[in-house]
Amino acid sequence: MTWDWSYAVQILPDLLWGVWVTVVVTAACSAVALVGGLGIAVIASIGGRTGRTCMRAMIELFRGVPILVLLYFGFYALPQIGLTLPPIAIGVLVLGVVYAAYCSEVYRGALITIPTGIHDACVALGLPTRVVWLKVLLPLAIQRSMPALINYVLVLYRQSAFLFAIGVPVLLARAQVAGYQSFRYLEPYTLAGLLYLLLNIPFVYLLHRYRMAHVEANA
Amino acid sequence: MMVAILQYTPAILDGLLTTAIVALLSIIGAAIVSLLLGVFRSAKRMSVRAAAGGAVELLRGSSALVYLFWAYYALPALMPGIPRFNPFTASITVLSLVGGAYGAEIVRGGLQAVPRGQFDACRALGLPPYQALTRVILPQALSQIVPGFGSLAVDMVKWTSIVSFVGVQDVLYVANSVRSITYETVAVFLVVAALYWVLCLFVSLAFHRIERVLPLNRALRASRQSTEAPLNGRPLSARPLVLQQ
Repeated sequence: MTWDWSYAVQILPDLLWGVWVTVVVTAACSAVALVGGLGIAVIASIGGRTGRTCMRAMIELFRGVPILVLLYFGFYALPQIGLTLPPIAIGVLVLGVVYAAYCSEVYRGALITIPTGIHDACVALGLPTRVVWLKVLLPLAIQRSMPALINYVLVLYRQSAFLFAIGVPVLLARAQVAGYQSFRYLEPYTLAGLLYLLLNIPFVYLLHRYRMAHVEANA
Repeated sequence: MMVAILQYTPAILDGLLTTAIVALLSIIGAAIVSLLLGVFRSAKRMSVRAAAGGAVELLRGSSALVYLFWAYYALPALMPGIPRFNPFTASITVLSLVGGAYGAEIVRGGLQAVPRGQFDACRALGLPPYQALTRVILPQALSQIVPGFGSLAVDMVKWTSIVSFVGVQDVLYVANSVRSITYETVAVFLVVAALYWVLCLFVSLAFHRIERVLPLNRALRASRQSTEAPLNGRPLSARPLVLQQ
């Protein structure tokens, strides 16, 4: 079996639709992960011992269980306890929550490295706690965590291929369907692989540009 | 509700064994690949460095899942004469290569952390480059490399769950069969999640043990024991908490 260009061109629009779904899913997962991670980090840092223990337990849980198992769990087990969601919502929630746990570690690290003088300054100025968090600590923490967070967005994009397992029409799922329909797997999977690789470039460019800006700002 | 799945315990244990074997072989494979790629990435010659860097970026550019599908379904069509990979070989090859690409960065970091003077000393003593690497540089770099590789190995245990897609009968594959027979979805997946969790814990503990016997760590411990009070059995290097996937 050799490469068939006309077949490749024929399935390309379908695959590009899959690229679009992949991008949308990545964006949604990232939103859940970045915001959720921040929430976890804040709760762990102001929630005292109970808050910290709960968050720690959640992170440890997600570190030892494959995403695929969690996806299946959400897809097959949630309906049994009366919670029926569309596959794409389950996928976004599972990936988002797992990476929220990872991202919270990044935020936590950033919060720890904020100099204590800044806390003291806030207390000396008599700022209310809400203002201290919203206007001082969080902006600083977010700025410091940015490179690591963009890295996690990139990881999320790569992991989004897993959602094909529960029937979300991401790029890999489109390739699989195209392959089934024509019994030709060479072109769909090769094109999908290339598209996955190509789509990295914007992410890597963003990361690079951010790092440059960061280095310049610090220099 | 657990009773229904209890009778499938032997099958699930079989699956767990398959998962463990796949994980063990791919972690060993990844260790070899990452040493090779990591050393080549730090090579003096520009072309070698660029080739290794290209391979690492290519392998990390997409998930292991996409490469597994490509290697299993698309690659045989490109090479008509060669018989198709069996699922087991394809899985271990892909996992070793992708894991090795991530490991190569860890190895490169470890080599960079060895003080520059050590390289110069090897040169001054006239050690051939290969001996300098295996006798002087690597033994020191390993105490940097092993903790990082340990958390990669834990990740790789989780990556093995993808092999069920090409028909390797690992624990997830068996679990899906049991689920479709018994409909005990919640119980089945709780059991599988627990099994993976324990397997990850086991790998993590194993790497803590390996860390303890590394030459540099042993030497450090020995020198500390002669000067200070003895350590209470803790490994010297702390593990990084954040995992890369």
